[in-house]
Amino acid sequence: MQNTLLELQDLTVRFGGLCAVNKLNMKVNTGEAVGLIGPNGAGKTTAFNLVVGVYKPSEGKVIFDNEDITGLPPNEICKKGIGRTFQVVKPFGKMTVLQNIMAGAFVNTAKTQEARQIASEVMEKMGLQSKRDKLAASLTIPERKRLEMAKALATRPKLMLLDEVLAGLNPTEIQDAVLLIKSMIKDGVTILMIEHVLQATMAICERIVVLNYGQKLAEGTPEQVTGNEEVIKAYLGDDYA
Amino acid sequence: MGFLSVVANGLSMGAIYGLIALGLTLIFGIMRIINFAQGALLMLSMMVSYWLWAATGINPYILVIIVGPIMFAVGYICERCLIKPVLDEQKDVREPVAVLLLTAALAIVLENAALMVFGADYVMAKTSFSTSTIALGPVTVSAARFYGLIIALLAAGIFYLFLHRTQVGCNIRATGQDRNAAALMGIDVPKTYAIAFGIGTALLSVAAVVLIPFYYVHPSVGAVFMTKAFIVVVLGGLGSIPGAVLGGVIIGLIESIGAQYMAATLTAMLVYLVFLLVLFVKPTGIFGSPYDW
Amino acid sequence: MIEKNNKKTIILWAGLAVILLLIPMFVTKPYFLHVIIMCLLWAYLATSWNIIGGFAGQLSLGHGIYTAVGAYVTVMLFNTLGLSPWLGMFIAGAVAVLISLVIGFPTFGLRGAYYALATVAISEGVIVLINSIGDVGKFHVGGAEGLILKTVGNSWAAFQFSSKVPYYYIILILLVLGIIAAKKIKDSRLGYYLVALREDEDAAAAIGINVRNNKLIAGAISAFMTALGGVFYAMLIRYLEPNAVAGAVSMSTQMVFMTIVGGAGTVFGPVIGGILLSLVSEFIRFYLGGQLMGLHLFVYGLIVLIIIIKQPSGIIALFDKLKERLSREQH
Ligand SMILES: Nc1ncnc2c1ncn2[C@@H]1O[C@H](COP(=O)(O)OP(=O)(O)O)[C@@H](O)[C@H]1O
Ligand SMILES: [Mg+2]
Repeated sequence: MQNTLLELQDLTVRFGGLCAVNKLNMKVNTGEAVGLIGPNGAGKTTAFNLVVGVYKPSEGKVIFDNEDITGLPPNEICKKGIGRTFQVVKPFGKMTVLQNIMAGAFVNTAKTQEARQIASEVMEKMGLQSKRDKLAASLTIPERKRLEMAKALATRPKLMLLDEVLAGLNPTEIQDAVLLIKSMIKDGVTILMIEHVLQATMAICERIVVLNYGQKLAEGTPEQVTGNEEVIKAYLGDDYA
Repeated sequence: MGFLSVVANGLSMGAIYGLIALGLTLIFGIMRIINFAQGALLMLSMMVSYWLWAATGINPYILVIIVGPIMFAVGYICERCLIKPVLDEQKDVREPVAVLLLTAALAIVLENAALMVFGADYVMAKTSFSTSTIALGPVTVSAARFYGLIIALLAAGIFYLFLHRTQVGCNIRATGQDRNAAALMGIDVPKTYAIAFGIGTALLSVAAVVLIPFYYVHPSVGAVFMTKAFIVVVLGGLGSIPGAVLGGVIIGLIESIGAQYMAATLTAMLVYLVFLLVLFVKPTGIFGSPYDW
Repeated sequence: MIEKNNKKTIILWAGLAVILLLIPMFVTKPYFLHVIIMCLLWAYLATSWNIIGGFAGQLSLGHGIYTAVGAYVTVMLFNTLGLSPWLGMFIAGAVAVLISLVIGFPTFGLRGAYYALATVAISEGVIVLINSIGDVGKFHVGGAEGLILKTVGNSWAAFQFSSKVPYYYIILILLVLGIIAAKKIKDSRLGYYLVALREDEDAAAAIGINVRNNKLIAGAISAFMTALGGVFYAMLIRYLEPNAVAGAVSMSTQMVFMTIVGGAGTVFGPVIGGILLSLVSEFIRFYLGGQLMGLHLFVYGLIVLIIIIKQPSGIIALFDKLKERLSREQH
């Protein structure tokens, strides 16, 4: 028995004349890990921003946990249980790593002590404990990406939206990050991730949705999707199909 | 005075407010710095213009070819020697508050330096057209104010063309949109900052030469204009050139028309009231967008 | 190791407390005690400003509004109705909170600069307003001439004393309470939220922070605290001159200068900045005040300018560097 956690219904947004996301329909089931791929500018990040309320959709609905959350502001959506990372990471530069994560943990508690407790656990899981008292502004790129996930994880989300958290990492760093994401899944967090690194995506996700020009181009298991002619065309151009 | 003359006076004062706001908006748009020294630099321009006029007797409007470059240099040097070091040190700080305070301190230094050097006297460049009027059909307007209106609008127009038609102008706009991308495109961002600050200051020299024939100069004259410029900038929308001009004209009109029907302090209050109203109804101003800055 | 350090700090604090408590015994000249009182008042005002300006990074350049509201409301209530300033200050504080919400509501949804510009313009408006109002109903406001506090002689109920000593202890307590409030806020959820939204509003919203509401709360707390400072000012000086109580140069900008010079966003930065700059200012006024017009403010501006250029993140950063070096040497 599969339980739908997130459902997008005809989700559409226009920026002036540009239709950045066009009638997107998709579902994410509880406990699943779904990949969202597509060429640059396909509208993946915009789709995330629609889900979390940064943009209000021109049309369509976002259903989360059987509740219509369309048009709620980002902070409310976070409280409903959706965490997200930013493609361009946004650490709180003048706060330490622990304080960054604590800021996220405060969603679930008003007590500083409890928030520190939650944050410490998350920090350890994300392998950031050695950076505990470092200012976030002083972190390296891979560390920043991990902090980005840690902040979101500290809000204890049911669904985590990961926006290119593997981009810019070297192969060993990617391996580490994949393990981290897998451990998140094991802890019961549902994952929807945007990724360009296909191998890693295939290692994590059982289902992949392909976006092109704001529209859903294909959907299926990693094997189905990579074998799909339309997808190959979108990525490599007509000549290769 | 007939109603149309009142309107004409309001327009000319408004255009001058707009011009001052233009410098503010430019510097803010490019560097994200609210320049609190804008008023004091206007005072400095007026002082320099006045003393040049008093020494040479040349038509103040012509003096702009001397005062303009002087003020550009002043702005350029201020940016290089005072603002840049702080900006560099604070580059990972989101809002460069220290820089803003630096300009406020600079304003205090300039105003009091002027007080020390020139004393608290009120002076005005009494030219041949200071008190004469011009008849435009049914409307009579003060000549100095009419010329002021024309020159201010002209300066705003030239400034607009400069930003959109010249290489330096494009560099400035590109830096304003995304300083990192601009740097990647080979634009010398620090230099562009200094140039923008210089131009923002040079614009004040135009305001200064059109003001001195009919407006008294004194060390704290800048404060009056700066608050107006702030209101104008918010009214028109931060970073918008047409917004600055239009906002200036609105304030100028409210003041001149208001002064016909009510006490001076009430007129002043009216300006703030309109400001509050706009803030509530359309907080980003007439041409502004909340995400631009 | 930690034990020893703890003991050391406790001794340090206790020593400081004793000195502060004993100051009136040694400083017997009213002028010098007045200077010290003003230092503490400025330290308190900077601490109040720091809640919204430092922690939350929302640049208010109109905090003179709140000192003015604190001072005027309390004095008007006392002069006309005989209401004790100890009660009047809470009404004044409530009015200040209300005003902070009116200013914050339209501007806090926008990016920072709008708020800064709005506070400048609105505070100028308030100054024009105070300068032009003679009376409101039976309440005397005084317009440009200013408002004089009715004196009733030595009286705790009326917050009026013939000696400076009670004022000293009152402002000392107010400052200590202010510092404790700042510390509590900094270590609480609100404090974390304020710093987070200061650093990045989008990232703050993404972890569930209601950006506008938290700014409004910080603004209200700051306004309330500042208004109490205004009340104290009114009781100490007993004469309210609109431009001195509400003015940009004399009030609003001062609080910002002091906080930035000391170190914005820290608990003790504003205290250091407030004490230091008011000492500098008093010192210059004492030696240069009677001379060439403009000289003392010129020098004051120059000193602030130099401190900002040399130490943009505030004097407190120097202490941090020092502490770091010491701890490195110990290891
Ligand atoms: N706020 C916006 N205003 C206008 N256009 C936008 C905005 N955000 C994104 N876009 C456009 O929408 C398209 C999709 O962008 P995005 O979702 O970032 O793509 P990606 O799939 O690479 O994440 C792009 O063409 C982008 O330029
Ligand atoms: Mg993207």
